[in-house]
Amino acid sequence: MSLINEFTKGVVRENPLFRLVLGCCPALAITTSVENGLGMGAAFTGVLVASNIAISAMRSVIPDSVRIPAYIVIIAAFVTMTDQLMHAFTPALYTSLGIFIPLIVVNCIILGRAEAFANKNPIIPSVFDALGMGVGFTLALALVCTFREVLGAGTFLGMPVLPGNTPAILMILPPGGFITLGLLLGLLNKLQKKSV
Amino acid sequence: MREIVKLSLFLMLVAGVAGAGLSYVNGLTGPLIEKQILQQKIDGFKEVYPQSDRVENESAKYLKDPHDPGLKEVNLAYRGAEPAGVIYAVESKGYSGPITLLAGFDIATAKLTAIKVLSQRETPGLGAKAKEKPFQDRYRGKSAAVPLEVTKSAPSRENQIEAITASTITSKAVTKGVNAAREHFNANFAQGKQ
Repeated sequence: MSLINEFTKGVVRENPLFRLVLGCCPALAITTSVENGLGMGAAFTGVLVASNIAISAMRSVIPDSVRIPAYIVIIAAFVTMTDQLMHAFTPALYTSLGIFIPLIVVNCIILGRAEAFANKNPIIPSVFDALGMGVGFTLALALVCTFREVLGAGTFLGMPVLPGNTPAILMILPPGGFITLGLLLGLLNKLQKKSV
Repeated sequence: MREIVKLSLFLMLVAGVAGAGLSYVNGLTGPLIEKQILQQKIDGFKEVYPQSDRVENESAKYLKDPHDPGLKEVNLAYRGAEPAGVIYAVESKGYSGPITLLAGFDIATAKLTAIKVLSQRETPGLGAKAKEKPFQDRYRGKSAAVPLEVTKSAPSRENQIEAITASTITSKAVTKGVNAAREHFNANFAQGKQ
């Protein structure tokens, strides 16, 4: 029961992007197409699961005073591996995500989960925590991407959905990212207030 | 003092294990990545200059004089023993990063055969259309004699290329790269200069 709880909290109650407002850099930068959002979410989830497992397994051996550098080394290693695996097996996605794969290293959600969860909990709950956060972040990215791609490019996953309309180019340019994320955050806050 | 040694040793161990893991993955993916880049290039060669038996990289011979820094490679496409076409690998600065492209020229007619954008980081839905066929086809069959220009409306002259809507910077970057290749082609391969 509590494992399911660990999972759902990342998706809904503590959604990293919409509730904790972490990981805004990729959420603004790569959310120009749904494909990018899903790719980024998958890469991110992979790294988060791996780093949560490693950090949780080593939580009793890592000396407290050097834990942050140790986490960074572990996370950086997993990110570089993901980067190379994606380059080798999914070259198209690799080119479109470009610089943002290496930047997962400094994604505050991953370090945040290491600090807030994995170093205090056993491996199994940490895996569920990572999966929940990963799925939550992926869904959040996909939502932002959907608005931006449909309105800004008139397509969804590359398929035209608004035939005959000129898409609003602004939405896939950087301002569109801020506008979408801001409005979504506001909307979700309003919905949550109502339910309380 | 003992504490410092202990902590450093611990971090060294973590870094060592991470390094070992990385070198394993690198050994696994390195050859695959290289193969993929090579395959991408061979496919690109076929697309920009289809009628050739083999393609040889002769950058060492043709790029030793001072040249446009955007030119990365000069490949000759042979039909039989004679070179029939030239394929340039060019890098140009786009709106949000480097654009690498191939430009093929036919020696007999002194015309652009085709171009192909290999990699780019332009805005999806805008500049990223440079990678799509409709834009690349605008370069097909252009003469190598005159510099190409970008125009925002429908082209009225032979040497004009219609820009991608709202992506003039990207269109200009691609054209600049093609022009660099074109100049090198004129100087080295145009009729009578071989």
